[in-house]
Amino acid sequence: MTGGRLVFGLAIASVIGILAACLLGSTPMSLAQVWAALWGQGDAADQIIIWQIRLPRALAAFVVGAALGVSGAALQGLLRNPLAEPGVLGVSASAALGATLVIYYGLAGLMPWVVPIAAIIGALLATAVIALAALQTRSVVTLILVGVGLSSFAGALMSLLMNFAPNPFSLSDMINWMLGSVANRSFDDLAIAAPFMLAGLGLLFVTRRGLSALTLGEEAASGIGLDLSRQRIFVVLGAGLATGAAVSIAGAIGFVGIVAPHIVRPFVGHDPARSLLPSGLLGGLLLVVADIVVRLLPTAFELKLGVVAALIGAPAFVWIAMQRRAEHG
Amino acid sequence: MPMRVVSLDYCADQYVLKMVDPARILAVSVDATKPFSYMREAASGVTQVQPSAENILALKPDLIVRSYGGGPNATAFFEQAGLPVLQVGWVNDMDGVKRVTREMAQGLGADDLGEEMVADIEARLLALHTKGEQPAAFYMTPGGVTSGPGSLVHEMLVEAGLSNFMDAPGWHDLPLEALARTQPDMVAFASFNSHKTPWSSARHPIARSQVRELPTARIEGAWTACGAWYLVDAIEALSEAKP
Repeated sequence: MTGGRLVFGLAIASVIGILAACLLGSTPMSLAQVWAALWGQGDAADQIIIWQIRLPRALAAFVVGAALGVSGAALQGLLRNPLAEPGVLGVSASAALGATLVIYYGLAGLMPWVVPIAAIIGALLATAVIALAALQTRSVVTLILVGVGLSSFAGALMSLLMNFAPNPFSLSDMINWMLGSVANRSFDDLAIAAPFMLAGLGLLFVTRRGLSALTLGEEAASGIGLDLSRQRIFVVLGAGLATGAAVSIAGAIGFVGIVAPHIVRPFVGHDPARSLLPSGLLGGLLLVVADIVVRLLPTAFELKLGVVAALIGAPAFVWIAMQRRAEHG
Repeated sequence: MPMRVVSLDYCADQYVLKMVDPARILAVSVDATKPFSYMREAASGVTQVQPSAENILALKPDLIVRSYGGGPNATAFFEQAGLPVLQVGWVNDMDGVKRVTREMAQGLGADDLGEEMVADIEARLLALHTKGEQPAAFYMTPGGVTSGPGSLVHEMLVEAGLSNFMDAPGWHDLPLEALARTQPDMVAFASFNSHKTPWSSARHPIARSQVRELPTARIEGAWTACGAWYLVDAIEALSEAKP
């Protein structure tokens, strides 16, 4: 399968996934009703349910997965390490910490922009630390460990905030951020995060050629005219913006950014630049499907999307890590 | 009459602050002055204490009042240490509220006040117009949950002459899809002032349109916390907002 056909197939599958997600909800709706409501016809209540509840939720899952998939692919290209990913590197956790901080101090109610901006600042700080560490060390293991440390530290600070939670309601809010979910998202939530996410993804796509050059090694890449520091700054900024915006919509959802690029990579000749778009599509598709699974499971309380993503993603992470060990002895 | 009283949590605080002379209160809990504490004004100036065993023993009280404060073993522990504990009873309807009010009044040496309060509850409930139609009310918190039959919230709606829009027992996420199909007649919105949640289904456009378009009773968090005599305040507010 070539890259173009892969992108086309994934795009079709994503559209089908989003439509399938629209069939699911707490009240029964037939396929015909859903289809009519999608085109603005039929019962007014059906239209409200599709356009205000089900479609925003499905699209939220898709854009969050897509942002994490693209960020993962770009970070993996920059650090030349298939284990790099916003979740593993502590970027998602730091973004969730930023959001939790403004919730804790009651700033979140001031303006709708406060939460996404706080999440993005958290994400940018973490990506900057990772990028600085990447300058210091050539060891990919060290880099991953720095990320794990960052992730634990952000987790510890979140626990600290939970410890000091002024009331049980704030506590449950913070837990929601840690678990991650796209339930009850509206187009308003998407619109607030959209500019940041688009800016981040735009930066990553504009500078994707540099990632291909980096596969030759940093010296060779700068030898053929790549401005290394500029490349680093753009990827850090882009991944920070996109991940922060994703976290502001859905909380911390891990491992999408590692699984999606890993599956895509063999199909695009292991070229990071060509892996961005399909990684994004596959990441989006994965989360849409995971969100469908969450709703089909017969549990008394709906499972959180982030929990399911981690249950699938963490073993995949271990498996990918073990494979690397096999390759490199 | 117990001379020196300490209370371990804010449910116990409410009765102690209402029924005990301030001179006899050694300490109340750290939550007594919070916005969700009904008797918060009476609590200002009263010593507040964390409910650790050491703190409480050091105060040398004659009586300890608690509902959940101090953890599950607190009652056994303090009684072993020779300190009597007055337990606030569990309430799930207005009869329970009256029963617990009497129990607490007896335990705190304020029998007359207890009877007075029960009479007041009965008179105020009787004064409400609960006959005839029972409009469907939808209870909703800023955190994005609603409550069906079996909860104190449900009893509160029924006492106000309303029916509960949520018919499934227990606590639930807001049923946004059901709300898109059928609207209730009014909203009972629990406003916990201290808390703004940026991430709950109560912020969804469909939930917000209920509050905007329908008659809405604003239920102060302090009225419903702990289910005591002041629940009548909430029931009256609901009855007044009835369409």
